[in-house]
Amino acid sequence: MIEAHSLTKRYGPKTAVDQVSFTVRPGLVTGFLGPNGAGKSTTMRMIVGLDRPTSGSVTVNGKVYSDHAAPLHEVGVLLDAKAVHQGRSAYSHLLALGATHGIGASRVKEVIEMTGLDSVAKKRVGGFSLGMGQRLGIAAAMLGDPSTLILDEPVNGLDPEGVVWVRELVRFLASEGRTVLLSSHLMSEMAQTADRIIVLGRGRVIADAPVADLISGATVSSVRAVSPQAGELARLLNSPDATITSVDAQTLEIVGLTSAVVGEAAARAGLTLHELTPLKGSLEDAYMNLTADSVEYRTTAASAGAASGGNAGAPLATDPSHSEVSR
Amino acid sequence: MTTTTPARRSTTQPASPIRLSAAGILRSEWIKLRTLRSTVWAYAVILVIQIAFGLLIVAISVNDGGISRGPERGITLASLATFGPIAGVAFGQLVVSVLGVLVISGEYTTGQIRSSFAAVPKRLPVLWAKVAVFGVVTFVVSLVSILLTYLVTAPILSGAGVTSNLFEGNLLLTFVGAAGYLALIGILSMAIGAILRSTAGGIAGALGLLLVVPVVFSLIPADWAHSLSDWLPSAAGSNIYQPGIFEWWQGLLILLGWIVVALATAATLMRRRDA
Repeated sequence: MIEAHSLTKRYGPKTAVDQVSFTVRPGLVTGFLGPNGAGKSTTMRMIVGLDRPTSGSVTVNGKVYSDHAAPLHEVGVLLDAKAVHQGRSAYSHLLALGATHGIGASRVKEVIEMTGLDSVAKKRVGGFSLGMGQRLGIAAAMLGDPSTLILDEPVNGLDPEGVVWVRELVRFLASEGRTVLLSSHLMSEMAQTADRIIVLGRGRVIADAPVADLISGATVSSVRAVSPQAGELARLLNSPDATITSVDAQTLEIVGLTSAVVGEAAARAGLTLHELTPLKGSLEDAYMNLTADSVEYRTTAASAGAASGGNAGAPLATDPSHSEVSR
Repeated sequence: MTTTTPARRSTTQPASPIRLSAAGILRSEWIKLRTLRSTVWAYAVILVIQIAFGLLIVAISVNDGGISRGPERGITLASLATFGPIAGVAFGQLVVSVLGVLVISGEYTTGQIRSSFAAVPKRLPVLWAKVAVFGVVTFVVSLVSILLTYLVTAPILSGAGVTSNLFEGNLLLTFVGAAGYLALIGILSMAIGAILRSTAGGIAGALGLLLVVPVVFSLIPADWAHSLSDWLPSAAGSNIYQPGIFEWWQGLLILLGWIVVALATAATLMRRRDA
């Protein structure tokens, strides 16, 4: 359990984290989302005392992190994969880290096995790929058998197999009753992994909700209908509740009506339907809508993309392949 | 909070089998020190430098017939039993100094310090453990190097008719003092490395204090400059193992004063700064 109260961090005139309050609960995977510079990493570093809050406080299991008798047993943290001396072997790094808490070689070997580092454990970390570095970081986080895990971009640099492994690992850890907080830029990955999402933008909490609520709240569901008599169908469906957009000569996107209503209306009028697809917004759409105003480092291309999906009232060109709201 | 915590998780039980301890942090620093190749190499270099310089000075003096020329230069063959083994200290201190900086700056430049501070969030125990482990290991390696040098130079000196006994007079004390000096210079350098948090800056700062500052003082044509330069770490500290302006204990106190100030600064900054 992580509880942040009005957490604030300023670097000179710049406010990186601004009055952030949230609770990360045990038994769930909580995702931290936000554009670059939104304050995700700073917040994570403040939880484990690496950065000092300018004001406010954050506790882990009811205490400030540094007040715990066995910090590594409370929180396992992966802040960045390169928080390791390049000249030391993975095994020696973990052994030295564990030694502070009296964690011995047998536990070190366990986490090395768990993370699949057996073959490189005795090699120097300097030669590790990004993915191996991530695995070592996760091994270090697991070392103290912690009740809370904080993982900053854990799948960054991992191959697809590694991504699936991390997803299953964090789901398993949460199912054991542990608290898991992770950040990721991979939106679809986050949608599959997290139960709850905290969206940060410009140092503030923009949203804090279960994944499904976040998506339904910040995106518009629509229905796509493909018919050779699209014009007729559009006239038929015209009502104050419905917003109908003609995508091409045969394709309509309808906001405000369910696919059942559209289908029944078409059947009653004897119109041919080639396709009738309910389109749900993806987490990515929700995220883009929520953070549209708080992107700090915007590229021109990205701003065009954000604008097209940015207005909740505008018709959404939602790609059904993104509509994976699996939980 | 409807989630139940599985019984095997022990967060609610105070008697956790693992916990942070001073002994653990010391062990951790010992593992860190011995698992870096650079550390092992640096200590090997210290050993080689001590023995090589000792052998060189003793061999040259014996071949030169230092007995006849000795008195006017203040070095007699007899005194070589003392000065031979510690002849390499002036060079050894440079290696010790660089190593002292590296032990801490290496953590900052690689990001290791974040792992170290995540495990020991109070931070300062990491600094004290580093000082203790690095200080003790440097002292032991230095003393062993000096004693080995004594052992390999003794036969050459006894061939020239000079015999000595390690346990007579101040011989052993001098060697212990020289090893202690090296360890303390290493600790001072470590504190400078902790303040500057960069390898290049730390080495420049530490070697500057040992090598450049004394020269600068000697170039100032004023009495106060000369008096002040006696109080520099290398000048005052060298009085611990060789006669000079200060008694050995005064030299020791002055060097310790430098270390206390540097470590206090390092500790204050370490607590305050973000890692």
